[in-house]
Amino acid sequence: MPRGLHRVLGIDRLTDDTISLRLSRDGVEFVPGQCFNVGVPETAVNREYSSYSGMNDPELQFLIRIIAGGEVSQRLSRVKAGDLIEVDGAYGLFVIDPSLVPTTDFCFIGTGTGIAPFHCFVKSYPRLRYRIIHGTRYGAEAYNRSDYAPGSLVNCTSRDSKGDFQGRVTDYLQVQPLATAAYYYLCGNRNMINDVYDILRAKDISSSQIITEVFF
Amino acid sequence: MKVAVSYPPIVNAHGQKAMVSQNRNVQFFKTPTYLMPMVQAQAATWLKQLGHELLWDDGNAQLKSYQQWFDDLVAAQPDVIVFESTTPVMKFYWRVTDELKAKLPGTLFVMTGYHSMRKPEETCERSQTDVVLRSNHVDFVLSKLIPLIAADKNWRTNCKIEGLVIRMNDGQLRSTGHFRQVEPLEKSPLVDRDLVQWRNYAMENGNFLQMPGTYASSVIRDCMFGKCTFCRYNGPDLTFSMLPVQKSLDEYERLINDYGVKEIFDDSGVWYRGKEAREFAQGIIDRGLHKKGCYFGFNTRFEYLDEETIKLLAKANFRFVLIGLEAADDETLQRLKKGYQLQHVERSLKWMSQHGLHPHLTIMVGYYWQTREQLDGTVSFVKKLMYRGLARTLQVTLCTPLDYTPYHQECIDQKVLLTDDYDDHDMSKLIVKTPLPHAAYYQAVRDMYGIAFSPRFVARQVMYLFTWRRRDWQFLFTYSWRAIRRVRNHVFNLTRHEHSLK
Repeated sequence: MPRGLHRVLGIDRLTDDTISLRLSRDGVEFVPGQCFNVGVPETAVNREYSSYSGMNDPELQFLIRIIAGGEVSQRLSRVKAGDLIEVDGAYGLFVIDPSLVPTTDFCFIGTGTGIAPFHCFVKSYPRLRYRIIHGTRYGAEAYNRSDYAPGSLVNCTSRDSKGDFQGRVTDYLQVQPLATAAYYYLCGNRNMINDVYDILRAKDISSSQIITEVFF
Repeated sequence: MKVAVSYPPIVNAHGQKAMVSQNRNVQFFKTPTYLMPMVQAQAATWLKQLGHELLWDDGNAQLKSYQQWFDDLVAAQPDVIVFESTTPVMKFYWRVTDELKAKLPGTLFVMTGYHSMRKPEETCERSQTDVVLRSNHVDFVLSKLIPLIAADKNWRTNCKIEGLVIRMNDGQLRSTGHFRQVEPLEKSPLVDRDLVQWRNYAMENGNFLQMPGTYASSVIRDCMFGKCTFCRYNGPDLTFSMLPVQKSLDEYERLINDYGVKEIFDDSGVWYRGKEAREFAQGIIDRGLHKKGCYFGFNTRFEYLDEETIKLLAKANFRFVLIGLEAADDETLQRLKKGYQLQHVERSLKWMSQHGLHPHLTIMVGYYWQTREQLDGTVSFVKKLMYRGLARTLQVTLCTPLDYTPYHQECIDQKVLLTDDYDDHDMSKLIVKTPLPHAAYYQAVRDMYGIAFSPRFVARQVMYLFTWRRRDWQFLFTYSWRAIRRVRNHVFNLTRHEHSLK
């Protein structure tokens, strides 16, 4: 197979507008938290997606929200098992220092498909001490909950009450005590990141312990 | 407080001025281009709105000699002087800070910029700088820092603003931690064009086909991709912030209607793509700004814009698209982490040129791994693109490690850097060990700039006249004269050191 082309192994339809795309790994190496440029061959357009799968998993997996009018996500939503997909990468520095894993608490805060790099962290580092605060519109959007240790994920839902907390992640964080020694990783849209940052700082979290990655 | 946002004129032994160029890197040019420093301009505007007295002190754009600039600044007696650093002018800035401090002992010196943000202690040790900003969000930080300094005489101790290294009264350095990576850009004011004397930047710029031209507030700070190893908009400390489309449109409307601007360029590392790009283009059309005789331009990446979006941008009177090709071999693109494949370049450029955009390619030579095959492949690929009319202009630079970017660090780790003198990082010569003699890369620079004088290239531009697009006529009959002058300038600048470092 030519370099950069990966075979589609399967597509899991997680919600009406989100899919999980599973691709052959073909020896691709990455550091958990990194992203790839993904596109359909011959279209000359790609987009960045964080790896959803862990670094030791046999497949590459990406969580893709299908955007209305989105050039790449719409095409990806129509691919079938056996098709080829272009993948470039891996890139990025939204990563964890592995030496911190056994001794440090991590709090991962993301919205929607912004949970992807956190899922990758959890799958890659079995000894990770973590908590995930995941904001979605509906409870059904808490993708693959069973992949996380029991009690480690809080799903905050803004439009139904089927999550663990009804309201936005910011509402949840406002009323929760937060560990000042933990590292906080934020991934999602810029408005969420700005709001969460203010809350964390107001709760005396050091700016050196807040790491952010904007999705849009 | 009286705050000076200052850019000293820096002139080298060849009489060339240090100019901020692509990606805000500094190069020395005889025929300068004056680029408005947008984030500093937003900072100045914000501070003025907060009631501070602002001195917009760009000695370059204001055509001052160094001595005149120095004397004027001393006479102005500012409370705070803000500089912007990058590797090749660091030593100059340290020296000038100390010289000014001797004349203005009560003045506070604030260093911003991508070199000092990564080595803040170095700047504090090598100069009498009081504060180093580690943040790229200079406007947001200064809008908090200056009022604090004004209000609290113990600000050095009490300051809680993130991302600063502060010299304490006992000389020790105090860090306030990591800076805030994402800021709500809509809260930073649009630039007060009169305050920054925008006309000083409106003419001498190769990116403008029509004048007066200007830069818009960057809609993305700094780059939404941010992974290219050589680029300063890459690092563990950086992500990106985005300005809402409607606010940017408001600025364009004001620039066209109130200032009569004829070309607007957005120098974001990478401009909007997808939904935002289409919303912006449609907004230009809905506001009737596409019929005001003003062209628009931006930086983008290969594989970011699809044909439908490009078509809409063309309809909205976009013209200039600056796009980083860098090299024409996939190994180099992968090592640079460019995130696109060579096989898609021609198609992307074809979409742009078909719909009337003027793609401008940026290419680099002299990567520490670049072989003869890779170099020749780049030259011939660029020639092919230019002769076929798929790109209209180009810019070649020597790949220079700067500002402790990943490429800079990689060159240090691989022990391929030939100098540790920051002055040598001015992009005028190769400073890394390469598989080929440096002369081969300088020749490649000449070959690529020589395309502009080729009959095949000129013939292609003549053929473009039959599209009957105004911009194509302007390109051949107005812009070409300026371009030739600039090409000569670039060739001289990039090849005069052929035998200096081996």
